[in-house]
Amino acid sequence: MKKWKIACIIGLTCILLTVAICVQLNTMKEANSTVSSDYAENNLRDEVLKAKQKYDETVNQLDQKEKELAKVREEATKDSESASQKEAQIKQNNNLIGVTDLEGEGIEILVQDDPNVSTETIGALDSIENHIVHDGDLRWIVNVLNNAGAEAIAINGQRIVNSTAITCVGNVIKINDVKVASPFTIQAIGYQASLMGIDMPGGYIDYMRDWGVVVNIKKVNKIKIEKYTGALQSKYMQIAN
Amino acid sequence: MMIVIAIIIGCVVGALIGLNIPTIPYTYSSYLAIAIIAALDSVFGAITSILNGKFDLKIFLSGFFVNAILAIALTYLGQKLNVDIYLAAVVVFVGRMFNNLGTIRRYYVEKISNKKIFAKAEQIIKKAKKEEKQ
Repeated sequence: MKKWKIACIIGLTCILLTVAICVQLNTMKEANSTVSSDYAENNLRDEVLKAKQKYDETVNQLDQKEKELAKVREEATKDSESASQKEAQIKQNNNLIGVTDLEGEGIEILVQDDPNVSTETIGALDSIENHIVHDGDLRWIVNVLNNAGAEAIAINGQRIVNSTAITCVGNVIKINDVKVASPFTIQAIGYQASLMGIDMPGGYIDYMRDWGVVVNIKKVNKIKIEKYTGALQSKYMQIAN
Repeated sequence: MMIVIAIIIGCVVGALIGLNIPTIPYTYSSYLAIAIIAALDSVFGAITSILNGKFDLKIFLSGFFVNAILAIALTYLGQKLNVDIYLAAVVVFVGRMFNNLGTIRRYYVEKISNKKIFAKAEQIIKKAKKEEKQ
């Protein structure tokens, strides 16, 4: 056996070996754990990832199908005037109930817990509750925005629809059954000048600022609000005769 | 000497390739780990047999791949039976690796100590020759 041949083959196997080791190292770095002997845990981890991928895929497919449906509808109703009118009405209603992505002029409000106070630095007589954003504050903001003629509102990407509840669940806030946490970005589409009235002197925003909550309000000329992704269900209501 | 260079070049090239290719799913990482241990064992075995002058390319190549595949298969079987068979594979392979490493170490230690003994012997011979002349 020639020596260079042996050297070549051992070199090649070393390449294979180091490639495998590097891949393994990278995988473990991503998994962020040492070699686990618990296969059940690994399988669960994988299943979660798979479920997530499947969910994303399904959402994408749904989006595509909805777009196709809109196209088909448009083509089907092109020739008849009454049908196309109805189609326009359906579109308008979809926009109103919040199942379409919308954009338009409006304002963006950033509300954030007091950054200078934490549970460690707070005084004995003070309470952390006086320095954080509560569900009531968000409800108040949404209410005022609606009063000012907002046509679409979203908090941290959660569209406010007619079934939306804003509730307190411990240290986070639940909107549309999704947990969101500070900082909150509240987007609203509507007439900017009247929406900006939320920042009137002596108003609720002023009080919030007094407690140390950070509130930033800015006008945005083209704001994009995502659609409501949950299910709109109705079980008990019927059209009254 | 050539073999050492080949191993170093192989490791460098392998690391360069390995750091630039995508990772594998987490479930398969335990199989890859056991295959790596098997392959490492084969490489150390090869080095030992080269030092002993008993190297056979066929045995080395078949050992490299078949051991790795068998280790993966056993791990898979163990997972299905809920027995940690891969532990046995790890014990066997790592045990053999230590044996091989011990052989390699002894080879080089003996080589170095032999050199010293030869050097001493030569000195003694030289001295004896000098005394003879005188």
